[in-house]
Order: sequence, then structure tokens, then C-alpha cells
Amino acid sequence: MAALPGERASAGRIPPGLRNLVILLLLWEVVGHFGLVAQGALPSPTAILERLWIDRADYPRHIEATLIGSSLGFLFGNLIGVGAGIVFALSPRMLRLFRGVNVAIFSLPAIAIAPILTLTLTGMEPRVVLATLGVYFVTMTATVVGISQADSRATDMVRAYGGGRVKVLTMVQLRGALPSILSGFRIAAPNAVLGAILAEFGGGGDRWGLGVYLLGSLGQGMPTRLWGIGLVATAIAGLSYLAFALIARRFVGATRAVTLNAAVPGGDATDEPLASRLLFAAGSLALPFCFWWLFIWGTGAPWLIAKTPLGVADYLFFSPASASAQARLLHALGQTLPVTGIGMLVGLAFAFLLAISSRLFPEAVRAFMPVALVTQTMPLVALTPLLVLILGRGTSLTLWVTISVTFFPAFVTLAQGLALVPRSAVELPRAYGAGVWREMRMVTIPASLPYLFAATRLTVPRALLGVMIAEWLATGTGLGNLLNQSRGYLDYGMIWTVAAVAVLVSAACYQIVVLAERRVLRRLGMRTAE
Amino acid sequence: MAAEGLSLAGIGKTFRGRGRTVEALREVSLTCPAGSFTALIGPSGCGKSTVMRIALGLEAPDTGTARIAGMAPAEAARSGLTGVAFQDAALLPWRSVMRNVEAPLEVLGRKRDAHTARVRALIDLVGLTGYENSLPGELSGGMRQRVAIARALVTEPQVLFMDEPFGALDQILRRQMNVELQRVWAETGSTALLVTHGIDEAVFLADRVLVMQANPGRIVEAIEVPFARPRAPSLWSDPAFHALCDRIAEALTGGAVDA
Ligand SMILES: Nc1ncnc2c1ncn2[C@@H]1O[C@H](COP(=O)(O)OP(=O)(O)OP(=O)(O)O)[C@@H](O)[C@H]1O
Ligand SMILES: [Mg+2]
Repeated sequence: MAALPGERASAGRIPPGLRNLVILLLLWEVVGHFGLVAQGALPSPTAILERLWIDRADYPRHIEATLIGSSLGFLFGNLIGVGAGIVFALSPRMLRLFRGVNVAIFSLPAIAIAPILTLTLTGMEPRVVLATLGVYFVTMTATVVGISQADSRATDMVRAYGGGRVKVLTMVQLRGALPSILSGFRIAAPNAVLGAILAEFGGGGDRWGLGVYLLGSLGQGMPTRLWGIGLVATAIAGLSYLAFALIARRFVGATRAVTLNAAVPGGDATDEPLASRLLFAAGSLALPFCFWWLFIWGTGAPWLIAKTPLGVADYLFFSPASASAQARLLHALGQTLPVTGIGMLVGLAFAFLLAISSRLFPEAVRAFMPVALVTQTMPLVALTPLLVLILGRGTSLTLWVTISVTFFPAFVTLAQGLALVPRSAVELPRAYGAGVWREMRMVTIPASLPYLFAATRLTVPRALLGVMIAEWLATGTGLGNLLNQSRGYLDYGMIWTVAAVAVLVSAACYQIVVLAERRVLRRLGMRTAE
Repeated sequence: MAAEGLSLAGIGKTFRGRGRTVEALREVSLTCPAGSFTALIGPSGCGKSTVMRIALGLEAPDTGTARIAGMAPAEAARSGLTGVAFQDAALLPWRSVMRNVEAPLEVLGRKRDAHTARVRALIDLVGLTGYENSLPGELSGGMRQRVAIARALVTEPQVLFMDEPFGALDQILRRQMNVELQRVWAETGSTALLVTHGIDEAVFLADRVLVMQANPGRIVEAIEVPFARPRAPSLWSDPAFHALCDRIAEALTGGAVDA
């Protein structure tokens, strides 16, 4: 991975990553061949390849459908994301005004709105929308982070020659933000594939798409085919990730700042009068609901299917069915939330430890990397049915899905953050004879703190998404199941309610993380990785 | 218009943040006539860099006004009158040495092609010929500072600001650069403000040395340097030179005893 230092293998030796991959594959072959895991739920690689070959005529159209949806979503999401990121970085007021919308888009567990999209849109549209949403936030955030973390000394230089905002943006900030934006792209690429597949899960009656294929094969008792589809989806996501990782590598090396920028972050809105602050907060809260209304108005969906915010409130509190609706909702929440919390914590802890240890045991982490990348670029939906085969339909499934969906973005965020620690900062404790542990305590861990918070913010909704997907596809509990059931019963009120509640819950958790982050980082004089 | 180089009048600046307020500057006034060379010297943290940042328009003073050639700092900067070398080189890490030196031209919207020869000459002046295409990360600290000096000179500024530009250089190179700087300054007839920790450097280069003290940052003494120009390296072994250095050292420490 581009973010890790010194990963190039010395010539003439097999890279340990490749070696481990081969060992793993051999092991897998043996295990699969003798049906050692869950009575043959884990077929051998050769059996999967055999099945792929038999099914080869099915794939092109499925792949094409998913690819078109995800590529369009990737394109739109990045265009909107970079554009919005620039606007937000230049105008903190816009950022504050759109905060509610951004949090909402970000917090959307995609699976929760997939049924809504298939109800209100047609054809390729749900895929494109869901892929766009998955891409937008990652890219937008990456752009804002990149721009706002631009070296203030370099911006001073441009300003000292009378350069205005545009000059500062083009000469310093955009170029400085490039590694961050590219890293956003590479996280966003698998997201687009995931979004498209999730939309296909929502079921629009479309015949083509890997998600459709996967869902159709789930009940056929053919593990080899499920694994085949999973591997193909993973390969697509992984290849798109790899492409952007390669591009990013070209830039990251050269843009590593040489000395630590110690500028204290300026207060954002503290100088503004209370009235204006309240106005912005209110606007930011209201805007997502405006978009909700706009969406319904724009699609022209009938009121029976498309519930406005008022419609949802009516359903949940004032209709004859509201008591039963509330009871079912609370029951589902009680099942979903605890698992989400635990899975998230474990995933985060694992990511943090691994990222930190890339400094301590670069060899081991490097060897682990290819394996981690392959499993982690897997679009999760593709992974869930496979995990169902192995882990069954209990809580442990939900937990594992959550952990793995949390781990990937957290690790990338942290590894990138650590790669940005200035050389002089790392070398200072070493120059005083500090061991690697002390250096970690003095430099690596504190420097990674903003990124740990950023990773936490990033994973809150993902954890919820993972849980809901597992619930939807397998366990038959919680919010995901409630959503799937409501879809079957044409209970439109509940479909919109679950979507809204899922977004609200994850937005609230997100907000809590942000508050904690502000307090801690402000005390340490660090900048938030917004 | 150019009769006046740089003037600061009654500048005050207080930083607030994280439960602490620092009165960085109080009632700082100074005038640098056009074509003069002024050195600013003082203990670390006394506000030298802040004076410079205010004069450049990068920081707004709480009280007082700053004028460059009769204009507001921002206006002067936009007209390309100023040049600056920061305390830490502040190079763009993704640009080669050459492109870093050219950066101010780009900010001012001047054609880079027309200045290629000048840029090469400046790189040669600071002794970095052969490193034109290196990235800042591949240079030593002193080399980066020299790039910053070349960059400060590239716009042929009327007013030149330098914040410890030679801080990371060895004594011999530093003295070489001092001689070179004097030559360039005399050739361009610019007004120079040099922030430095080196007393001998200040005396060698400046017409006038301003001594600052901290808490609050203020100018406590202005000492004229009478030596004729151009000053030759032999000045460094002149007893009169050393006498003046001692006087400045006294002003620096004397103030500390008072405070
Ligand atoms: N942006 C800022 N926020 C808060 N305090 C600041 C800021 N910039 C400078 N200060 C404070 O103002 C005082 C003067 O700082 P300044 O950088 O001007 O010192 P200096 O004389 O250049 O020191 P040195 O010789 O070490 O470079 C210091 O006490 C510093 O802590
Ligand atoms: Mg300074």
C-alpha cells in the first residue's frame, strides 16, 4: 500500500506478502477440498474457479450492469465531492450550513434507503444514486481535509506576495490536498461498487447486476457459485482501489512535509454573535429535511409511497397503527444497537493496533497487507452471504460483518495519517536515543490521534450498515430485518421510518464522537482532520 | 512615492488562545527610509517575526498602522513591491528548487519564461547550481534556506523582508551570504528589514540595529552603524566593529536585567 514506508521488496527475494498469500491459498485449498469448515461451506479455490468457468456465460451482463451503475456513481460522486469540498474548505459558513446534509448523507446506512430508492426511481437510477452517495462523502471529506491541512507557512508565502484565495487554492491547497483526495478516491472506488450492489439488493425487478445474481443464488445451496460472485465483485472493487492506490503513490512521496507545522487552529465560529450561530445551526438541521422533501417532489412519487418527514411523524405517532409501529421499532433497535457498538469498538481497536504496529513491525504488517487488502476491499454485501455459509445466522455473524466493515476505512485513515508524520518529528526522539516504544508514545500515537478520531467518525455509520446488512440477509433480527419485512408487507410508513431512524441514530452517534474529538484535540492544540 | 520605504507606527498586538494571552507587541514604531538596511535583533519570542508578519500584511495589528512605500501592506504586496524569506523556508514540498524560486512570479501573475535567466542566476548566487530539479525534501536545512533567499530576491523587491534567513548556515557560508546579500541589496537599492540572532551579522549588514525586548515585545534601543559601504570582509576583524557588537550585546542583556 502506498501509505506504508519502505514497502518495496528487495530484489531477488519473494516478497513476504506474496509468500503468505500463496501459503494461505494452499491452506484454503486443503481445507476446502476436505470440507473442513462448516461442512463444506468454504469450498476450495479450484472448485470455485471450476464453477466460475461453468458460469462464465452469466457473468458479462451482470458485471456490466453493476459496473455501469457504480462507474456513473463514482464519477458523479467525485465531481460533486471535490467541488463541494473546495467550496466548504473556502467557506466555513457553507460547511456549517451543509453540515446537517453532510452528516445525513454520510450516516445513511445505504441498505436503509435502498428500498426507498427502488420505490421511487427506475432502471439504473437507484444504483447510481446509492453509488454517488457512497462516493460523495468520502471524496468531499478528503478534499476538505487536504485543503484545510495545507501548510500554513506555504499559504503565508503566497499571501505575502499578495496572492488571494484563488492563488492560495491553486498553488498550495489543491496540490497539497492531492494525496488526500487520491486516498479518498481509492476508498470511494470500492464504495461505489458496494453502493451499486446494495441498490440491486433493494430489488427493482432488474434482471442484471452482481447483487441480483448473488441474491438469486443465495437459496440455491451452491457455495461455489456464491464464492465465485463474491470473488468477482471483490476483484472489481479491488482493482479500482489498486488503480487509485498506484496513482496516489506517485504523489504521496513528494508531498511529505519536511518539518512539523505547529500552527494552533483558529476558533471556527466562536467570534460570531450567538444569533448568527443559532441561525446556522437551525439551517443546518433543517436542510436535510428540505432535501428529503425536494427528493420526493423531484421524483413525483405518490404520497402513499413517498412519505415526507411529516408523513413519517404521522405514521409513528398519530396513526392507528402507531403503537404497534413504535413497539416493533424499539424492539428492533434494542437488538441492533448493542451489536453495532461492540463490533465498531473491536474493528477500530484492530485498525489502530495494526496501523501503529506498522511502525513497530513493518515487516509483519507488510506481509499481512496483501491479505488485508484483498479481504477488505471486498464489497461487504458480497462477503455477508459467504460469512452466512460459514458462521451461520447468529449474532457472531453480525459481529464479524461489523468488525470487518469498520476495520478497512479505519486502517486506511490511520495508516495515511501516520505516513504524514513529518520526518523531523519522528527523528527527534530517535536523535535522543529513544527506543521505538518511546518514539511511538511521543510522536506516532499523538500524531495519529486526529486520524483515530477521523476514523471513528468514519466508522460509526459503517458499523450500523454492516449490522443492518447481516440482519437483512441472514439473522432475521433488528432494524435490517424490520426493513426487509416492511418491504414484503408494503408497509411504506415503516420503510421510511426505519430509514429516518437509522440515519438519526448514526448521526447522533457521529455527533457525540465529534464533540469528544473537539475537546480532546483542542486541549492538545491539534487540528481536527475534518 | 518611494521616498518612504517602510513605516510602522504604534503597533500593538496581543494573541489570545487556549486560556492564555500574550502581548506580543506594544507600541512598536519604526521607520526605514527607502534604500536603508535595518536589522531587528532580540531574544527569542520577543515578537520579531510578528513585526515582520504585520509589516507584510499577514497579521492584522490590534493598534497602529503599517505602510510600505506609502501603501497598505496588502496593496504593496499585490503590486510586487515586497520580497520575503521566512524563518522556516516554507517551500512547497512538491516543487523543484527552480519552481519554488519561481513561485512568487506565479503569484504575481508574471511570465516565468521571461525570468528564467534571472532565476538561474539567483540559484547560482546561493550556490545551488546543479540542484535546480531537486525537491525540498532532498535538500539539507541550510540548502532549503538558501532556496528561500533566492526566492525572496526573484521579484526584485523594493522592500525585502528576511526572518533569520541564514539561521541554518555554517559560519563561513553565512559570512559569504552576508557579503552577497550586501551586494545584491546595494545593486537593487531596496529597503531591507533583517530579523536576526547574529549580532555580527546585524552590524555587518545594517545601517541601523533595532534591539527588542520581550514581555511585552518592544523596541528598546536603536543603534546606528557608521561603517562605510561597501563593507569588506576585513570589517569582521576591525576593533571598532567588535566594540559596536559589544554595545549591542550589552543592550540585549541590559534589557533582560531590567525586565
Ligand atoms: N499565532 C500565534 N498565536 C499565539 N501566539 C503567538 C502567535 N504567533 C506568535 N505568538 C506569540 O507571540 C510572541 C512573539 O512571537 P514571534 O514569533 O514574533 O517571536 P520571535 O521574536 O520571532 O521569536 P524567535 O526569535 O524565536 O523566532 C511569542 O510569545 C509567541 O508565543
Ligand atoms: Mg521568529
